[in-house]
Amino acid sequence: MEKREATFRIKRFNPLKDTKPYYQEFKLTVFKGMTLLEVLQQIKDKIDPTLAFRAFCRSAICGSCSVKVNGFPKLACKTQVITELEKFKTDTLTIEPLDNMEVIRDLIVDWDGALKKMEELKPYLIPDPKVVPQTLEEECKVLPQELKKYDKFTDCILCTSCFSACTAVNIDEKYGGPFQLARLYRFAVDKRDALKGERAKIGYAYNMWNCVRCEKCADVCPKHIAPVDGIMKLRGISIEVGLKDNPGARHVEAFYKSLLESGTLNEVLLPLRTKGIKGIIENLPVGIKMLLKGKAHSPILKPIKEHKSLVKLIKVAMEVE
Amino acid sequence: MGRYAFYPGCAAKGASKELYESTVAVAKELDLELVELPQFSCCGAGVLEEVKEAVDLAVNARNLAIAEREGFKTIITVCSTCLLVLRKTKWLLDNDEELKEKVNELLKEVNLEYKGEVEVKHFHWVVLEDLGEEGLREKVKRPLKGLKVYPYYGCHTVRPYEILGFEPSENPNSLERIIRALGGEVALGKRRLECCGFHSFWPNPKGSLLLTGLNLIDAKKSGADCIITPCPLCHMNLDANQSRALKEVKESFKIPVLHVPQLIGLALGIEQKKLGIHRNIVEVNC
Repeated sequence: MEKREATFRIKRFNPLKDTKPYYQEFKLTVFKGMTLLEVLQQIKDKIDPTLAFRAFCRSAICGSCSVKVNGFPKLACKTQVITELEKFKTDTLTIEPLDNMEVIRDLIVDWDGALKKMEELKPYLIPDPKVVPQTLEEECKVLPQELKKYDKFTDCILCTSCFSACTAVNIDEKYGGPFQLARLYRFAVDKRDALKGERAKIGYAYNMWNCVRCEKCADVCPKHIAPVDGIMKLRGISIEVGLKDNPGARHVEAFYKSLLESGTLNEVLLPLRTKGIKGIIENLPVGIKMLLKGKAHSPILKPIKEHKSLVKLIKVAMEVE
Repeated sequence: MGRYAFYPGCAAKGASKELYESTVAVAKELDLELVELPQFSCCGAGVLEEVKEAVDLAVNARNLAIAEREGFKTIITVCSTCLLVLRKTKWLLDNDEELKEKVNELLKEVNLEYKGEVEVKHFHWVVLEDLGEEGLREKVKRPLKGLKVYPYYGCHTVRPYEILGFEPSENPNSLERIIRALGGEVALGKRRLECCGFHSFWPNPKGSLLLTGLNLIDAKKSGADCIITPCPLCHMNLDANQSRALKEVKESFKIPVLHVPQLIGLALGIEQKKLGIHRNIVEVNC
């Protein structure tokens, strides 16, 4: 069996006795198939019983053992140590608690803030009496094609890996958060729900347009949910339910218009179309610099070849259920 | 070398003309035949998903289908967001027969069909695949000796790995390989995989500029003489928006930001004008 020596540089912090966090190194022999959770458990059992981490199911379903490995959030029980060593071409892995949450001790973070945000977004079914029967005798069927719209978003195990990696959470306190907003989308397209699309208004109030689309949540999710996909769809729904007078929605409209007009993006009109006169004034100094460097196209763009068929295609696609 | 359908993306045709110019010049020097198809439309930068998923898929499946119809096996793009959007469409359609059928029904209305045969790659991936580091090194006429370059990946060339897949999203090295092949030194930083905030610029300009400011500080701290990026959108924030991004983090310095083909072009000894170096907002002294 493949074996090798590895060093685990673990971030430690006990608020009862430490003034600031520090790193402690543990050297171990690891073998093929060994998970990071097994490593942490071995350290706790044989080297240092004070090491604190959360774990429970060991099957990537309870979501409690998420930690950062060389900077990236992962479930310790789903992470094979040798694969990580090979990926980073190293013999040392740095293990740290998740970001965007307070550390309680060592690798344990306080989830309460993230979960409170989720609660505020009301991600639970509010039954629509017109769809959900009032008696147990009747059924409320959800057909496979209806479930497909939100099926993957029901797989979230609340491990908060996406919340830890999220760029928007890191810079905007008010931002709803990736798994939270994806859950909101899940109910916005559930035919049994009474609020449905109106839920997008909650997402709007929680700054969903501030998602930077960095795709980190899609990359780190151990369940391959890609919260960003749900957030983008929720933004689309917000436009459908009438939240059109904001930069995010107008930006979407600007792209759509450009495709219909010429097939390529009209960058020159983008500031005006997205933010009105304010868009021009705010970006004037940069705009002038770019103009002087010849970095602008004519405000009237020549349509692409076969543009008429593109327009026809868009119109047909707009009619799709 | 290969013959490719060239999908420059809207930025390279407008606000990042120098990216278009440098890509064409470098491709010529490296014997990569780029054929720009006049039927290609804007990919919608992901924003089209917010209009309607069916529109996003139809528009991008059309781009893929046009390349297939014209007999190309690979589309090359120089924009990371175009790369992600086109590859995401392909990934969704190739992994869902039912969805592919539905989208093909739409494409039938305009006499097109997406078969799933065309690949989508980034320009610098193809440089590494076709020439390799050794092949590229052989073409260098003016090695970037002593030049410290900060490789800034941003997001959409590496994430999500499931869709991009060229290199590990947590530890990519394609840009480092290119820098070294050109004779330059890699300036190591902590934020090479962080977001520049471009896609939230309109709803949240302060947040967007803050992210760019932090990335610029990291590049400066790493001792870099310049930054390179494979994405024109990252480039816009790092270069055109540099002074106001630095204001957001209470700093003021200048660091040149080059598109990947511009750096390659300089090492290949291509005339600076052909690389559009004069168009960069932060002056590049080379």
